[in-house]
Amino acid sequence: MLVEESIKSAISSIRTNGVRSFLTALAIIIGTAAVIAVIGIGSSAEKALEESIDDLGPRTLSIFPSQRKRGGISSGFNPLVLKDAEALEKNTEHNWLVAPAMSGNRQIKYKNSNMSGEINGYLPVNFEVRGFEIGHGRLFTEKENLGRKRVIVIGSKVPGELKTSAKQILNKEILVAGTSYTVVGILSEEGSTGWQNPDDDLYVPLLTAAQRIFGTDRLGWINIGISTDTNVDYVMMTIERILRQKHDIGPGGENDFRINDWSQYSDLRRQATGIFTALIAGIAGISLIVGGIGVMNIMLVSVTERTREIGLRKALGATQRSIMMQFIIEAVLLCILGGLLGVFIGTLLLFLFTSLNDWIFYMPISAIIGSITFSALVGLFFGIWPAKRAAKLDPAVSLRYE
Amino acid sequence: MIETKNLIKEYDVGSQKVKALDGINLSVDEGEFISIMGPSGSGKTTLMNIIGCLDTPTNGTYRLNGRSVSDLTEDELANIRNEEIGFVFQSFHLLARNSALDNVMLPLKYAGTSKNEAIKRSNEALEQVGLSDRSKHTPAELSGGQQQRVAIARALVNNPSILFADEPTGNLDSKTGTDVMNIFKELNNNGQTIILITHEDSIAKQSNRIITIMDGLIKSDIKEKHEK
Repeated sequence: MLVEESIKSAISSIRTNGVRSFLTALAIIIGTAAVIAVIGIGSSAEKALEESIDDLGPRTLSIFPSQRKRGGISSGFNPLVLKDAEALEKNTEHNWLVAPAMSGNRQIKYKNSNMSGEINGYLPVNFEVRGFEIGHGRLFTEKENLGRKRVIVIGSKVPGELKTSAKQILNKEILVAGTSYTVVGILSEEGSTGWQNPDDDLYVPLLTAAQRIFGTDRLGWINIGISTDTNVDYVMMTIERILRQKHDIGPGGENDFRINDWSQYSDLRRQATGIFTALIAGIAGISLIVGGIGVMNIMLVSVTERTREIGLRKALGATQRSIMMQFIIEAVLLCILGGLLGVFIGTLLLFLFTSLNDWIFYMPISAIIGSITFSALVGLFFGIWPAKRAAKLDPAVSLRYE
Repeated sequence: MIETKNLIKEYDVGSQKVKALDGINLSVDEGEFISIMGPSGSGKTTLMNIIGCLDTPTNGTYRLNGRSVSDLTEDELANIRNEEIGFVFQSFHLLARNSALDNVMLPLKYAGTSKNEAIKRSNEALEQVGLSDRSKHTPAELSGGQQQRVAIARALVNNPSILFADEPTGNLDSKTGTDVMNIFKELNNNGQTIILITHEDSIAKQSNRIITIMDGLIKSDIKEKHEK
């Protein structure tokens, strides 16, 4: 019954001094809201990242040409060429998909519309590796690639750029740098990957691109599609061995290419997001501590104001412990109420943020429980001293306090 | 019931020691109705604080119901106040936001009485002072006399051996003051030991023993038998 009395007394005290209680709890409210919103945004970002990695399906490694250095001096550029891709393709150790590509900007014309577009030379397998799907028409075939046919697949936003629709442009001719190509397919919407948007790009067979558009056998990159259970280190070693042999690099010589493991970047990005979230949440957490000092201040005021009440309670038989409990419960309750309000506001902010940015709304329960627990601990810690002062009051003196 | 020997209470005022009590020998028997009188600064409040277990003497012994209480810890004193002593104050000292019933229940909360039992006994105490119909009212909704009666009910609720009243009629008009005094007399007739602190002769005369304090010493101790 004593605990009940303490809670009742705390609620009545908080309610009687409503404005003061709110202002006192404000720092706790803001702190909790900030912590909750930041952790929520971090978690939602991570969730989105996880989903986009899942979207990639099989894992992708990318090989890029890279400048080779000898003794710190740049010794020219050994490009990746079609023959490198063929060599990788011939390897039978791994069940991988080799997807060489080249790209460049060219002028596109359809009827009276002009646009500048990124032309990608792809093999049919490239679409598979990147997980692209066809929305209208079809992909070009291996046969069309070998025949260097003038066929083109376009990204989902290209018809709009050319002031037409997917259905109207399908099987029509468009001009790429003055040469006409038949639009055989339009991709379904893929969405931006963050550094590039496949919906804005155009795709022609690799050999067509090499011969008719770019006039080179130099590749921009080679993507290697591997299944998720592959030993990546082993695959990378194999790639290295084959390319070093092709590029005639002796022992001790540096690679003139580099291999990116995109999932490593995701890990890095996830780590960075995590560190950033922890940092901001930590800074926001400081405002909880500051709030705690405010709570301590107001509790000291409250103890002084209620000296006579404390004297009376002691005269009626309250022990030091029960007086202490009463004031600690009041401080903790104030902080928990602030924490709850903060969680509510923080969740609201997160909801607004995620819906405005088209993110997935994700709020870990542990963040809610954690921040309310932390608020309660702040109340406990900063409530102890004022409560001790209340408990130590001399009943005879405090009864007559004016 | 109350037995004090050579009670001395000293206060430090700056570098000087001031004696508020200078050797009080007092014994009180069960069922007495005592008034303690004296001018302000005489030490009567200090005496009440010590025999009410709100304070401890610098020197001397105090036995309450045969138990020495002059050297107990603060929490032990709190328990004795809770079980043995009921207080009535000049300014009522009610919790403004609580109902009359909740105010009366307060000592039982600290006693650890079960809730049902506490409500039952508090209602009985309110009935005893004639306020059973006001149990849900807050102090602001009660008159001064009613507030003091709630305070008396609170003092009585844990069946104390002694009821202390510090100027209980000081904030009341003469009519309600008389009503309150009548309650005290009735309680005393039923065997309740009462110690009243007052500076009004008319109030003191209604008790059956008047102790006058002057400069920390008992100046006079007159027992009278009133038939009234």
